[in-house]
Amino acid sequence: MHAVDQKEESVFQRVVLKNASPFHYMKVHLVLENETTRLTAVELKHFIISGLKTLHGEVGAALNVDVLKYDDDTLTALLRVSSRGLVKLWSSLTLLGSYQNQACAFRVLQVSPFLLALSGNSRELQLD
Amino acid sequence: MSVFMDLNVLFSPDRNRLQGVIETAAHLGFSTVAINYVFEPSSKKKQEVPVPCPISELIDQLPVVQGRSRPIRVLNRLTVLMSDSSHFRPSAPEYRRFDLLAVQPTTEKLFHAACMLYDVDIVCISVTEKLPFIFKRAPINGAVERGVVFEVSYSAAIRDATMRRYTIANAVCLMDSCKGKNVILSSAAEKALELRGPYDVTNLGLLFGLSDGDAKEAVSSTCRAVLLHAGNKYYSTSTASTTGSTAMSTTAIVMMMKEDEGQPSAKRCSGRPSGPSGPPHLRPPSSV
Repeated sequence: MHAVDQKEESVFQRVVLKNASPFHYMKVHLVLENETTRLTAVELKHFIISGLKTLHGEVGAALNVDVLKYDDDTLTALLRVSSRGLVKLWSSLTLLGSYQNQACAFRVLQVSPFLLALSGNSRELQLD
Repeated sequence: MSVFMDLNVLFSPDRNRLQGVIETAAHLGFSTVAINYVFEPSSKKKQEVPVPCPISELIDQLPVVQGRSRPIRVLNRLTVLMSDSSHFRPSAPEYRRFDLLAVQPTTEKLFHAACMLYDVDIVCISVTEKLPFIFKRAPINGAVERGVVFEVSYSAAIRDATMRRYTIANAVCLMDSCKGKNVILSSAAEKALELRGPYDVTNLGLLFGLSDGDAKEAVSSTCRAVLLHAGNKYYSTSTASTTGSTAMSTTAIVMMMKEDEGQPSAKRCSGRPSGPSGPPHLRPPSSV
């Protein structure tokens, strides 16, 4: 039997991480004028790299962007980019206006340095 | 933290298109949009200042903003393209029908006059052409003191590559001179696909040379300051110009705060005996 007054010491500890994650993750959704158009993952990546090249040139196009997950029915993708290149990628996604002569818009749904944070989205929460 | 606003949505006679834009703006998280009527006077023939369409005619049911429980607020705004000083007549009665007044000067003299003298809320920086003049510190500081803001629109950058260069060049030039204060970013969207979410626009502000805090303010609190400055215009009975955004008449602030809470219907204002003629929803009830 353990002694009843065995108390565990609780020490308050605060951990602050600066630049903890080398990558930033973005969940994006591509909205096209013609809603029946479909893209493959390769076409999507080519489109993103061409957007980076248009706005930030060869240096922008050399940025390491990975498409981690892609749902081609809803045109929703999960992108990963190094943290230094987040502003470049995000701004080139914002200013991308046309895909093969039809108007388009990239809607950025979530951005986070941690992939786990992208699993839940309080904006799509349904409160019954 | 202030709510997000997009103060430049171009008016189009096509009602469905405008409705689509407003619904997209509500879905993206903007709490207030302002429908922009662009007016380009020419000295040759007399043109009528456009009359704003009442909001209830444009859209029946205002959509609810994503993330809040209130419907989106829609205002009317007039932009006057000035190429001559006779184009803008201060205190013209037609201007009172609009909630916001903006001016887009094309020469250095007009820019100086718009910043220092004219009774406007917003000075638009042109993004479709190379800047015809250099920004000087003196008129910009004068404008900052008076509470006038500078506006950069980003939808031209989405449409065309050359416009993209002009937008970024002009915006960077502006940020150099004004050090990031009193700037708002807005779309000049004609279609729903040209709108971008508030955090996307904040990121564009970083591209233009604003700091993190300034970029977010450009979409939120500076826009709110413009609305307060505009509301104040109709209620200051003294002819002295209001000095900056801090010297506000308390009735105007009460007006704006009450409007934030509820529907902008009848104005509750205590003690304003002289009936100023402003836009209908900013007018106080006639009986005090």
